[in-house]
Amino acid sequence: MAAKIDEKGRDAFAAFADLLIPAHKKMPSASSVGVAGPLLDEVLRLRPDLQEDFMRGLDAITGEKAGAAANALYKDDEAAFNAMSLVASAAYYMTPQAREALGYPGQESLTYDAHAVPGYMTDGMIERVTRRGAIYKSTPH
Amino acid sequence: MATGSRPAKRDEVVDVLIIGAGPSGSVAAKHLAQAGMSVVTLEQGHMPDRNDFPGRKPEWELVTQKQWHPNPNFRDRPRDYPINTDESDVHPLMFAGVGGSATIYAGHWTPFLPSDFRVKSLDGVADDWPFSYEELLPDLETVEREVGVSGLPGNPAYPPKMSYPTPPLPIGKVGRKAAECMDKMGWHWWPGTNAIPSLPYNGLNACVRRGTCMSGCPEGAKSTTDITYWPHAIKAGARLVTGARVREIEVDDRGLATGAIYIDEHGRERRQKAHTVIVCANGIGTPRLLLLSKSKHFPDGLANSSGLVGKRLMMHPFSAVMATFDEDLESWRGPFGQNIASFEFYETDESRGFVRGAKWGAMPAGGPLGATSFVGTKVFTDPNAKVEDMWGPHFHDMVERRFGHTMVWGIIGEDLPEESNEVMLDDELVDTDGIPAPKLKYKVSDNSEKMLKFHEDRVLEAMQAGGAIETSVVHQMADTGWHLLGTCLMGDDPKKSVVNRWGQTHDVPNLFVFDGSTFPTSGGLNPTATIMSVALRQTRHMIAERRNQEAA
Repeated sequence: MAAKIDEKGRDAFAAFADLLIPAHKKMPSASSVGVAGPLLDEVLRLRPDLQEDFMRGLDAITGEKAGAAANALYKDDEAAFNAMSLVASAAYYMTPQAREALGYPGQESLTYDAHAVPGYMTDGMIERVTRRGAIYKSTPH
Repeated sequence: MATGSRPAKRDEVVDVLIIGAGPSGSVAAKHLAQAGMSVVTLEQGHMPDRNDFPGRKPEWELVTQKQWHPNPNFRDRPRDYPINTDESDVHPLMFAGVGGSATIYAGHWTPFLPSDFRVKSLDGVADDWPFSYEELLPDLETVEREVGVSGLPGNPAYPPKMSYPTPPLPIGKVGRKAAECMDKMGWHWWPGTNAIPSLPYNGLNACVRRGTCMSGCPEGAKSTTDITYWPHAIKAGARLVTGARVREIEVDDRGLATGAIYIDEHGRERRQKAHTVIVCANGIGTPRLLLLSKSKHFPDGLANSSGLVGKRLMMHPFSAVMATFDEDLESWRGPFGQNIASFEFYETDESRGFVRGAKWGAMPAGGPLGATSFVGTKVFTDPNAKVEDMWGPHFHDMVERRFGHTMVWGIIGEDLPEESNEVMLDDELVDTDGIPAPKLKYKVSDNSEKMLKFHEDRVLEAMQAGGAIETSVVHQMADTGWHLLGTCLMGDDPKKSVVNRWGQTHDVPNLFVFDGSTFPTSGGLNPTATIMSVALRQTRHMIAERRNQEAA
């Protein structure tokens, strides 16, 4: 069961996540794709082992300025920082918006012709390997 | 839970009891049942359900770092047993279930080479095997057709052999780039052979390059024995009992095995009697069980008069080299088998300062979350840096640079056997049924250290020649003990080995070990092809000698 996170905590996590993952070039910011919303609860449900470290980190940064709080956490409680940064980045890359901006379609299913002749068979690459001959050591039978 | 064509009968004495339904146990169960023998297999895990595998879900990368992590100590599922690794340089990786640890393997199919069977004769180290590559070849070729291997015939790293049952998988842009790097150096490479068919085969679907092989294939396209062997075994009458954790092999007054005591998934103690017992519980589980099975006849553990049960553990020290290129390599796409492999530096050259060698396999690098770490090792580890130095715009730039543009080379170095590397029983740690857990003592040897360094440098040379814009090395990674070998040595001398050339223990004539525990040496490559081939060789011999088999 994921811990309940109030609005103040979500705001603090959104600021923390945006420090780590701001809007940059074609990529949206973490908060703009909803990492502090229901997705946060979903990630903590998927990884209950992260909850304790995450909540400790969230308590430490809530009410503090994001930059100073994040650096203090990284220095004083690396386990909490790692849990929070993993939750932020994992949630971010689970969103369709971040995936589309990055050009990542997800782990998709592709079809191909297994009988097609691969390029290495016709451009000389595999032939150069075979021409060099056997490289195994023969052994007495 | 029991599966099979016949209902379970209390006190039934079956012809053969097999402990473990991984690659070797599955080979034995199928072939013994098809030969008309009554077979029961006890498996501590369950039959995998491909709908549980996370590869189709958006959280795939997140859960592979915990629930689908290959290290049972970290994953900590109820059917996993804990392992004390406090004194081990390498952490063993495994999975409990029908199909065994292959459920989460990458499917690299690399049979041992001829020289792997003759390291004493060729290099003066370790031991020769009691049989040769050529003697094992017919079993290998049978297994390859049952497994549904994909690959291109004619690899000059091997003697000529039968072609594979399905064509090679696409090597993808990663494989093409990796091959170009090898080509620039004039070094050996070959399209990857994988236990992943490119066409529908023996109950398997064709690979669709989803790239999530190492957390179970949700497509049913990676060859595991729950798909390729068990339907045949059950049809032939074999019974499979899952959720059954064996705690002891029993013996009678003559010192013959009579069966095993196991704990079912409801915590009840049960007994399965058998005329013959085969242990297939991997290089840690098998010696653990033999050491647990102490009796007045065998006070030091079953079949342990040589004192070698648990000794000579080999786990393959492993390094990874990451190389990033300007070109888009679509490197999240599978298969997450090997796109190409190289055996250029596999054989011994003593001028390098070590003996034996390593196989290299080029693989994709996974999704964007994987780009922020490197094969489980966090990139952001500078304790003196500021958060803004590593995250923020730098984070985006790093992911943009690496994601889709990166390949990973896995270097598997031959691990020579040493008696000081061993599996023993832990004094305190127990599994969820209260059975003592194994403890490992394992140190990476000086030979392995030199070997890995040499190979890392050669891979880097090739990647730089091919235009890599960024490279990094993770030397001798800890969480890489996929290959658990050597702890019940096979040999002709009962004083210096645990089993004979047919997997029969020297001390107990109706007790056999058919898994990788029996390997005298490890090779420098992925061993599943050879584990299954040796299991078939031993099974065929057991069938041929069935009328001469002494039994309780």
